[in-house]
Amino acid sequence: MIYAESPALEIVNLRKHYRRIEALRGVDFELGRGECLAFLGPNGAGKTTLIRALAGRTRPTEGTIKVFGHPIDSIGARQALGLVPQDLALYGDLTTRENLMAFGKFHGVPRRELKKRIDWALQWTGLTDRARDLVGGFSGGMKRRVNLACGVLHQPKIILLDEPTVGVDPQSRERIFTMLDQLSDEGASILLTTHHLDEAEQRSDRIVILDQGRVIADGTIDELVLSTVGHSRLVRVRVDRPLTAPVTVPGDGGQRRTVHVGEAGRDLIETRIDDVTVNLGPFLKAVRHGGYVVSDMEVQVPSLHHVFLHLTGNELRD
Amino acid sequence: MQLSLRRLLHNRIELLLTFVVPIAFFSVFALIFGNGIGSGTTPKVKVVIVDEVQSPDSTAIVESLRNSAGLRLMNDDTQDEALSLHDASDMVRHGNVTIAIVLKPGQGEAIRSDLLADASDQVAGQVVSALVGRELVIAKTRQAARARRTMVRRPPTGEATATSNPLVRQQSVVPEESLDPSELVQIVDVIGEDKANPVVSMYAAGIAVMFLLFGATGGGGVLLEERENTTLDRLLSTELTMDQLLLGKWFYLTALGFVQVCVMFVWGQYVFGIDLRGHLDGFVMMTLVTSSAAAAFGLFLATLCKTRGQLNGLSVILILTMSALGGSMVPRYVMSERMRELGLWTFNAWALDGYDKVFWRDLPVDALLPQLAVLMIAAVGFLLVARALAIRWEFD
Ligand SMILES: Nc1ncnc2c1ncn2[C@@H]1O[C@H](COP(=O)(O)OP(=O)(O)OP(=O)(O)O)[C@@H](O)[C@H]1O
Ligand SMILES: [Mg+2]
Repeated sequence: MIYAESPALEIVNLRKHYRRIEALRGVDFELGRGECLAFLGPNGAGKTTLIRALAGRTRPTEGTIKVFGHPIDSIGARQALGLVPQDLALYGDLTTRENLMAFGKFHGVPRRELKKRIDWALQWTGLTDRARDLVGGFSGGMKRRVNLACGVLHQPKIILLDEPTVGVDPQSRERIFTMLDQLSDEGASILLTTHHLDEAEQRSDRIVILDQGRVIADGTIDELVLSTVGHSRLVRVRVDRPLTAPVTVPGDGGQRRTVHVGEAGRDLIETRIDDVTVNLGPFLKAVRHGGYVVSDMEVQVPSLHHVFLHLTGNELRD
Repeated sequence: MQLSLRRLLHNRIELLLTFVVPIAFFSVFALIFGNGIGSGTTPKVKVVIVDEVQSPDSTAIVESLRNSAGLRLMNDDTQDEALSLHDASDMVRHGNVTIAIVLKPGQGEAIRSDLLADASDQVAGQVVSALVGRELVIAKTRQAARARRTMVRRPPTGEATATSNPLVRQQSVVPEESLDPSELVQIVDVIGEDKANPVVSMYAAGIAVMFLLFGATGGGGVLLEERENTTLDRLLSTELTMDQLLLGKWFYLTALGFVQVCVMFVWGQYVFGIDLRGHLDGFVMMTLVTSSAAAAFGLFLATLCKTRGQLNGLSVILILTMSALGGSMVPRYVMSERMRELGLWTFNAWALDGYDKVFWRDLPVDALLPQLAVLMIAAVGFLLVARALAIRWEFD
């Protein structure tokens, strides 16, 4: 067990050029053992390219990938990985069970185990009663569930999921994550890409944000928040009439400086407040002082959404 | 309509195929029917002559046949003597020559002839029969003239006329004896004479080979489909390697093709009286090798193409062209020499020659060696090229 301490995945300076496009421009990160890592990034950021490189499906132009300390093309590496591709890679003219059977066999699941594994997979995808139907006739979400099941039948130590929850209804999504948790509890390391920020926030231990082929942020949600938008809260106050002039919040002569908030002609004031306990009081007092009545107030906790927009500057599309 | 046109324009190869396919076909058939058969230059019939008479008259006949425009004499002077009746009939059986002309002593001094022929080629039989018949009549006339001369002691001028212008003499002698060429020449079918349904097996083989090719390219197309919907990606991310994948598909297509042809011939046996049971060993060998070569060819075509559309176009062109050239549509023996040589570049020709040997010529299986070898080499070759082409799919 020389490699006992090596991470599940270790990626160093990964680059991938397609003819004109640089899909990956030097990606470095690690996936710890048993960790669940969410990969975020706008469309075309290179997430799928990265996953395919990890699954050995595309040869990087440069850089190294190590699976439990072994090179990606070693014998054990392939068996350790389970890929759930972004596109539905299934045989539409086979039944659910036959699809699972086929991919299970290709993954080298022993014949004795296969039936048990298939039943398990059918169970958690909720497709037990559709096991004998042709996959071609399934709805998009059902296909996606089968797609997922096919990639994890062989109980891989590392599961790579490329947007596993696109087009899946909330119940099924819940089910999928329960299953992923279960696999995670059994020791699997999970890497998933998603465009659902809340999903990434709630379900993953760590988040890596990719943009234009580069890692632009890597850390737990708290770390990301701290390093980007900080702990400041966004405060929105609606007042009873449009402001005639910006409200002046006087400083205390020490740390807190005098600031002007709001815009003349608008009845909504938006501002960032670093420390709610210290700063919120003076702010509200200043508003009242200006002769306005607060009709509504909202304090927003910084979320991944803010981090993401802060870093990539453009809205995500799913 | 605009949309369809636009899509076509984006796909150069399909565009090309749309216009090239019909032209290619037209050309192939024009070549076969225009140059090969029908038109003024009838192909020379390959013959050998067995001279059992060995008289000056018979030698003269041989010489004159040798110079005939319609025949190509395959036995050269050196081994002229060595050729026996048995050898000649063997040559016909193997298809080395179309017809063996046997000159035999007839009544008295007359020379008769048997034409050992292949019953599948009726045209050649008629052509040669007419040519040989004419020569025999001429010879007979000459003999008759000589006979009369010895009896009547004609003046020597008569002989001069006879040799220099035999046709003139012939006319003058006609009434004396029966000179009907059909009595002097007899066509003996050395193969096919006892067949219940002679040509059916050949057509069965022709169609079978064509469908093997279509089936195999269709099967190869699955590979492209898998690639298009990224299933291939997923398959290759499992423990499966490209080698296993291709070999698996090859075995599958071979087996499927084999069963397909077997079913077809079994049907042929019951319905059309093909003698399958009598030729089982040769049939199994030919079918196995042919379907494995067809499977490899299908995979080769599939790996050559980018999309299924391209594959469809390309396979239609190639298969129909090969089938036309190789004898799946028009029997090879009606084609000209050049076309037949060209046909040897196709897959169908070798397969059909093999089936021909099995079912038509009743040859033992060791006679199939060249066909089996060529098809096997083709199978391995195509498979290797397909493997090499598939490298681009392994990593992109
Ligand atoms: N096979 C390929 N050939 C050429 N370019 C490619 C190929 N695959 C991806 N690309 C390019 O690489 C870039 C990254 O694509 P990728 O699919 O990795 O993005 P992504 O992050 O997965 O996007 P999405 O969120 O939309 O799935 C894109 O600009 C894409 O056009
Ligand atoms: Mg993607």
